[in-house]
Amino acid sequence: MILEAKNIEYVYKSQKDRKVLGDISVRFEEKKFYAIIGASGAGKTTLLSLLAGLDSPTGGTVLYEGEDILAKGLNYHRKNHVSLVFQEYNLIDYLTTEENVRLGGTDKPGELLTKVNIPQEAWKRNVMKLSGGQQQRVAIARALASNAKVLLADEPTGNLDEQTAEGIIELLRQTAHELGKCVIVVTHSKYLANEADEIVQITNGIIDS
Amino acid sequence: MRGFSLAWRSVIRKPVKSILLFVTVFTISLLLLAGMSSGKATVQMQDNTRQAVGAGLLLEENEADRHRRIDELSRQLDHKEGSLGGYHQEKITINGVENWRTWTDNSFETLLVEDIEKIAGTEGIADYNITTVTTAARPVGFIRIEDEDVDQYSDLGGVSLVGNKDMSMDSNFLSGNAFIMDGRMIKEGEKDVCVISAELADKNQLEIGSRISFGNCRDKEDPMIYEAEVVGIYRVNQPIAPYMYGDTYRSENIIFTDLDFPEKVDGKAGDPLYEKAYFKIADVDEYEAVKISVMGVDIAWERYDLIDNNGNMNTLSANFNEMEKYSRTLVWVISGAGLIILFLIFQFWMKSRNREIGIMLSMGTSKIRILAQIMAEALMIAAVAVLVSFLAAPGVSGLTADYLVEQQVQSAGEQDLLDEGKVALSYEKSEQNVVGVQAEITSGMLIQDVSGIALLIVISVCVSGIGILKRNPKDILQDL
Repeated sequence: MILEAKNIEYVYKSQKDRKVLGDISVRFEEKKFYAIIGASGAGKTTLLSLLAGLDSPTGGTVLYEGEDILAKGLNYHRKNHVSLVFQEYNLIDYLTTEENVRLGGTDKPGELLTKVNIPQEAWKRNVMKLSGGQQQRVAIARALASNAKVLLADEPTGNLDEQTAEGIIELLRQTAHELGKCVIVVTHSKYLANEADEIVQITNGIIDS
Repeated sequence: MRGFSLAWRSVIRKPVKSILLFVTVFTISLLLLAGMSSGKATVQMQDNTRQAVGAGLLLEENEADRHRRIDELSRQLDHKEGSLGGYHQEKITINGVENWRTWTDNSFETLLVEDIEKIAGTEGIADYNITTVTTAARPVGFIRIEDEDVDQYSDLGGVSLVGNKDMSMDSNFLSGNAFIMDGRMIKEGEKDVCVISAELADKNQLEIGSRISFGNCRDKEDPMIYEAEVVGIYRVNQPIAPYMYGDTYRSENIIFTDLDFPEKVDGKAGDPLYEKAYFKIADVDEYEAVKISVMGVDIAWERYDLIDNNGNMNTLSANFNEMEKYSRTLVWVISGAGLIILFLIFQFWMKSRNREIGIMLSMGTSKIRILAQIMAEALMIAAVAVLVSFLAAPGVSGLTADYLVEQQVQSAGEQDLLDEGKVALSYEKSEQNVVGVQAEITSGMLIQDVSGIALLIVISVCVSGIGILKRNPKDILQDL
């Protein structure tokens, strides 16, 4: 077990103490591809944010390899334990494809870009000049560059057409199975969910057993 | 990829934000330099009524600085009776009405000997003379020259004593208007000797070797009498311009003495009042070079006027009406406005880079490091802008100083018109014309400019960054 949410709760203080997550416990393992699914507002993205260390739960703990992620700090957790992929790709707009991957922490971005099927002629181009599918591949390459054992993705195929989405899903699946990472994806896509090794269903902030 | 190389790429590849900051910092830096240099500008004035004779330089007290020193000491005494730095004030009651009586003593008014000696030590100065203020003295045992048709009621009934360190360099003798008719001039270091006018000698049958006596002119009760030996008799081509109205100061009653004699007669031995210092330049061909060297001597120049043989003098902006004050205000206004504008620019930067900040945070980059990157970008752009402003500063500073001087001259002219016939001045205003303005950018100003700009940027980036430091990464990413 690499990552665990233990009895976590999350309450929006700014929204009259609205409870988004209530006493959730879930465990994630390496070499597995997880899909977190649920209706809009169910708390999927909030759970992902807490697993990523982008915020702290109002109750409970998030453990990485059995240790509370607060022990070394959320920054440390984000830098060393997890890498993130977003629906909006979130690439740095003034950098080239290669430079964006370098940001992840590798000196050999070419290897990763080849792995995610980005043609070499696009490596030195401004990343914003690539297609949506290519940008998401670059985002995944950047996430892989960090050597983090957990890859968290929030609706990674949400902005992509079906064919491109299938390619991204395959890439995520390979990341889990071939590179041995724990891949956790928040999605609405049934197709993606079907490709996952395990599905975590959230309804109104609670995991369905 | 390190923060610096990211910052560099951001500066180059996001030109709009870089240009916006560049233009702003360039303008602020340029105006700050212009303000600072105007505040330290030298206004070249010409006063044809005051000029050094021959190949020499004349040092006199600056009237504007004198008034400012009085104001400053008065402020320090804070409406209380007392004395400070040669300035005195006391409360007096006249007809039941309280008034303030203020006066200065010699220690306040005199040219400082240590300053004179510093100038005299400049390479190219061959010799120097110090002249005392014209001092009224009561003639004892001899008669002064009087105009019989004038009512002497308001006159002090005295003669004038003028002491010189080296009489040969007194302006009257140097110009050739006065010359020794009999005997000799007073030599440096002599004590209790004098040179009288031919008219006074005739009237009192005085000759070389005669001894004449003087008493305190203002305190007629003072029993002290001081005696001086007549060593020379002079004559003038044109009467010497009187120091004040009245026969006490008329040309024939002027008696030249050794440097220390006037202060003794005035009851202020050891407390001299030196009015002028003359510096003789060794090589006439080196006149301008020596003048520049003298101007570089480290003394409080705001206290003095240095006048050359054409009546030209350099007046520091501090002594030029309100120029220094306006320049200082300009610097403060620019700094304040600069801070606000820079803060708004960095707010814009932060807002337009929310996505980038969110991405960096999601990758575990610390908030401090993100702010440091933004700071590095800002400082890179600012460094270039400040360097470019250094190139443009001399021209703009000159224009600013010219403009401020023009405004000052204009407003002074308007004030003079308004005051015409209304204000009684304690001194005769001489006709002075501005012949040039020299605004120099010194290395000190450059250092102040760089530090000022750096401080403005650091403050505005930090204040603008509070928004980032306060929010958690999830909230920032949710805004995307």
